[in-house]
Amino acid sequence: MRHYFSDAPKTALQASYWVFVIYLLLPLTLMMAMSFKDANFIAFPIGDWTLGWYAKVVQDKQFLEASGYSIFIALMTTIFATIMGVWIALLISAEGIWGRAAIFAFACLPAVVPGLINAISMRIFIRVLDIPTGTGAIILGHTVHAVPFVVIMVLTRLRSMPNNLIDAARDLGADSFIAFIRITIPFLAPALVGGMIFCVLTSIDDFVRTFFLGGYQPTLPMLIFAKVQGGMSPEINAMATLVLIVTAAVGLYAEHFTRRSRT
Amino acid sequence: MQPVVQFRNVNKYYGSSVAVDNLDLSIEPGQFVTLLGPSGCGKSTTLRMLGGFETPTSGEIYLDGKEISRLPPNKRNVNIVFQDYALFPHLSVRRNVAFGLELKGLASETIHKRTMELLSLVRLQEFADRMPAQLSGGQRQRVALMRALAPNPNVLLLDEPLSALDAKLRQQMQVELKSIQQTTGKTFIFVTHDQEEALTMSDVIVVMNSGRIEQMGDPHTLYSRPRSRFVANFIGESNFIEGTLKGTKGGLAAIEWNGSIVHAGLNGHDLQIGSRVAVALRPEAVSVFASKPVEKLAFEGRITQRLFKGDHTSLTIELPNGQAIVAQLDPVALSQITDDRVWIGWREEDAVALAD
Repeated sequence: MRHYFSDAPKTALQASYWVFVIYLLLPLTLMMAMSFKDANFIAFPIGDWTLGWYAKVVQDKQFLEASGYSIFIALMTTIFATIMGVWIALLISAEGIWGRAAIFAFACLPAVVPGLINAISMRIFIRVLDIPTGTGAIILGHTVHAVPFVVIMVLTRLRSMPNNLIDAARDLGADSFIAFIRITIPFLAPALVGGMIFCVLTSIDDFVRTFFLGGYQPTLPMLIFAKVQGGMSPEINAMATLVLIVTAAVGLYAEHFTRRSRT
Repeated sequence: MQPVVQFRNVNKYYGSSVAVDNLDLSIEPGQFVTLLGPSGCGKSTTLRMLGGFETPTSGEIYLDGKEISRLPPNKRNVNIVFQDYALFPHLSVRRNVAFGLELKGLASETIHKRTMELLSLVRLQEFADRMPAQLSGGQRQRVALMRALAPNPNVLLLDEPLSALDAKLRQQMQVELKSIQQTTGKTFIFVTHDQEEALTMSDVIVVMNSGRIEQMGDPHTLYSRPRSRFVANFIGESNFIEGTLKGTKGGLAAIEWNGSIVHAGLNGHDLQIGSRVAVALRPEAVSVFASKPVEKLAFEGRITQRLFKGDHTSLTIELPNGQAIVAQLDPVALSQITDDRVWIGWREEDAVALAD
């Protein structure tokens, strides 16, 4: 009994952790369960089970188009954000660059500016420049948001890189470009993969920026939002479940990859 | 013979601090040359200038008669082994060694053949497909050495490559480095602050201090005929006794010290009669007697410390004038000494007179 009492704080911590986990997982579980329900309305009990909603979703042209569009935007965002992020990280880690702290702060600003403020300002910005809303504007907005994550991940990795690896490559006959391609990039690979997957996930997930910058073609979150406004249905649950499973798989893979490369 | 490496009036400043001060140095091909000195003496800067990682503030560096002072590292036919090896962590042992050969654009069979030859030279063929992280310190060291030798450089630079190894392994690697240098016949320029390492391996030692060369010569000359107090102190251990120069005769200096005249080798030095001079005396050159010797000059003293070093014992003997002299005795000589009251003496030619 004494032992039990002395561990009270620990027990309380563990209990609150499990409360948190249930709070996190229960809604997701409910959502997934409902996607298998053979009825048009969302409520317990689930009488008959079905995979029909999934069959409907994967045949839904709108859903497939929106998914493809989201993935396209995510890939473009990733390409631009990775190039810019790596470039900024290299700039910050280079010696003799004036105002490194300021460069870093500006590069990271988009990560802390609220999404809504960011989205509104971007909307005003593209109107001033006469850029039409739509694909280009969305990619622009997503890229600005994704760059800080690439910068931080690449910079962390870059700081753990021994200085003389590049010296050694140069010594063995590589010019600075070859040394960058053959030594720096492979060394950064885990951070690059991690950062790129992060870019993809944030881009696919983004609603606010897309909403303000998008044109008539809906991305996946916008499509789901539009459908929800027309009333909840198990079909939406099936869509959301598919998105959840794919993103979770990609996220877990990224975590696994970066963890393995770190050792 | 044309020197393979030549520094002419090379200076290197970092802001206002001098790293290398008006360096003139010629290195003959095929030699094992060591740049020796305390940290901050300019030895590493000298090596990095030769490798192309630093640019001289003024002066020229020649490699095989060609000026290379301002060429980037990839345009110089020298390769370097770094202190922490700098192996590429994402490449296997084989790919690390092949790196320089691949950049030369050689055929892949040629690269493979040469890589395996080099690895077998250090008995690492079986480790060819391992990653650097899976190797021990000594193995990494050998891979780094072979990677630097692979492109067949005129001169191999080694920047304190043994300092990360434990004592036993370091001794093995000293022998191995020396034998690789002899089999390849290449010029090795080795940087270290460890005088024992320098004495063991080098054909020529360049002792550096504050960006300048203090003395350059073969290990034996440097040890037995140091030209300055710094060298006498840095290479091996020395006792110093200070006195006034009374006269010189036949290569020997007569110095007044402790109420007697002692003699020491002049070593070609031009010392002013009447000036203060120091006499450097190696601990192993000091003889210790249990009783006052008859025909030799000897000084009475008391043993204040005995340090057992295994194969020898180090005695500290304090003279009446307060001077402490360290003597190194082998077990046979030590067995003669039973009392703390002793007499010390030395052969005149073992003592070296130096400007104080």
